[in-house]
Amino acid sequence: MNATQDPTAQAPELTPRLDERIRAALQTRTAMAVILAGLLALIVVLAIVQDVSAGRILSLTVWGIMLGGVIGLGSIGLTLCYGVLKFPNFSHGAMVTLGAYVTFAVMQALPQGEVLRPFSFGWEFLVALIVSMPVVGVVAIGIDRVMYRRLRQRNASLVLFAMASLAMAFFLRSIIYLVWGSDFRFYYEGRANPALDLPFGLRVQADQFFILGLAIVLVIAVYLLLERTKMGKAMRATANNPELAQVRGINTERVVAWTWLMGGALAAAGGAMYGLASQLRPEMGFWLLLPMFAAVIMGSIGNPRGALAGALIIGVAQQVSTAFLNPAYGPGVAFILMVLTLLIRPQGLFGGTE
Amino acid sequence: MPLLKVENITCGYGDMEVLRELSVEVAEGEIVSIIGPNGAGKSTLMKAVFGLLHPWQGAIHFEGRDISRLEPYQIVETGMCYVPQVANVFTQLTVEENLEMGAFVLKDGDIGARKEKIFELFPRLKERRRQAAGKMSGGERQMVAMGSALMLDPKLILLDEPSAGLAPKMVDHIFERIVRINETGLAIMMVEQNATQSLRMAHRGYVLANGENRFEGTGQALLNDPDVGRLYLGG
Ligand SMILES: Nc1ncnc2c1ncn2[C@@H]1O[C@H](COP(=O)(O)OP(=O)(O)OP(=O)(O)O)[C@@H](O)[C@H]1O
Ligand SMILES: [Mg+2]
Repeated sequence: MNATQDPTAQAPELTPRLDERIRAALQTRTAMAVILAGLLALIVVLAIVQDVSAGRILSLTVWGIMLGGVIGLGSIGLTLCYGVLKFPNFSHGAMVTLGAYVTFAVMQALPQGEVLRPFSFGWEFLVALIVSMPVVGVVAIGIDRVMYRRLRQRNASLVLFAMASLAMAFFLRSIIYLVWGSDFRFYYEGRANPALDLPFGLRVQADQFFILGLAIVLVIAVYLLLERTKMGKAMRATANNPELAQVRGINTERVVAWTWLMGGALAAAGGAMYGLASQLRPEMGFWLLLPMFAAVIMGSIGNPRGALAGALIIGVAQQVSTAFLNPAYGPGVAFILMVLTLLIRPQGLFGGTE
Repeated sequence: MPLLKVENITCGYGDMEVLRELSVEVAEGEIVSIIGPNGAGKSTLMKAVFGLLHPWQGAIHFEGRDISRLEPYQIVETGMCYVPQVANVFTQLTVEENLEMGAFVLKDGDIGARKEKIFELFPRLKERRRQAAGKMSGGERQMVAMGSALMLDPKLILLDEPSAGLAPKMVDHIFERIVRINETGLAIMMVEQNATQSLRMAHRGYVLANGENRFEGTGQALLNDPDVGRLYLGG
């Protein structure tokens, strides 16, 4: 055996100290994945200890995946916005709320049709959802024109952008209070959507399957758009190197507009889906903001695939923990996961080590 | 009429003046080499020509058209392309996607054929077409950057230090390709640290110092000029 490979032959100061080695090992992607899986397992174990039935845990997991889909739609927009514009958009939660309410408003304007069994909604919900997506997208572009674009032209600092988006979050919320009031609203007042009885004691509503299916379709659409279309590639290029993007002939202002359109539309879909699963409140998006940011950070900022993975983990952790925790602590669970990520591996699950 | 005519431009960053009443010309089919010490303003000149900075005074004409107020994405369409000194590839995009971005302004059509032409010039890129540009060597990156700029079949290409940081063998290879590109009729304006070598291949050259034009002449004349030799060619 080669002498230099013998650990005892190495000078002591060359061997990294044990705690440093442990820290380095903890920072790898595998370690982080193991820790997250361990945490999810811990939540399940805690639920079992509290005598929660297997059927319920399974149902909560499926609901968690659905919630993860909703959070994921929001976080993809958030992460794209960060990638292209380089600032955390604190008003993204308000876009989610706006999407839910615009869907509501369009439904009010439409005649109510027959219920599409086994779902609880009729075609008017689907039409309203499809209308609200571009509407919210265009609102996002409008906000960019009056506010963020001016800041961009003046080379404003990151803090200013973040503060402006926070102000916009409060502004949008006030508008929603003003127009729709503070009462809870329902897409269908008092219409029941009984859970389907499935094997293994799984109790899931047909609506929840719809939400999950729609989230999957939208995520695939976003993926294809980013990977296959010219505008999608231009978006990734602009996020990667904005100055070179201009030099290569990409009109980056147009890329920015498309980013807002996509982000707004996805947020709107998420809002409508969340509203269908529960109810409409002016704060609904605000409470999703923390899980969305947690998902973005966990999946590496600027990485859409990572944001989706993070959202699924957070959705499941939040839902399953309601087996033994008050659901009001949901954002707290997301917060813990976010802090853990920042402590262990700040660049997130999918970040490079460069 | 020269292809590119930079006339008495003054320009800089914020309120810091970098270029002072600078004039440069490039004729059709010419290789023009710009040399000068670090911080002379060579890259700034390239950026000003390409619309990343707008001149405070003076004018820039390309094929007789005033381009000094155009943005880079508009200048691309006039038939000029630019390879910046640093960060000149999309590191997270594949080689092939980088080339496609080079042809972004084209309304589709023969992008495949254009890519093949670039792969002929730089066969190395064809082997690595699916690799992220950020994972390539310095020389390969320079090929990706030049390849992307050539995708539009420009009339003039601006190269900012194409040989910086490359091994001598790779420098020769890149220079040889530049001459070959020029032989197809493309005009080239390049900035180089490898001053002697680049003046040898250039038709004409300029020596920049402190944002001003100190010497100009044919490549050979500058190489033979004792002042240029002593001050800027290291002996
Ligand atoms: N983005 C910028 N903002 C402010 N000042 C800059 C910027 N880029 C360059 N400068 C300044 O402008 C001057 C000229 O820089 P430039 O990059 O044009 O030099 P150069 O001749 O290309 O040098 P090098 O050989 O090192 O590439 C320098 O004093 C530099 O500090
Ligand atoms: Mg330079």
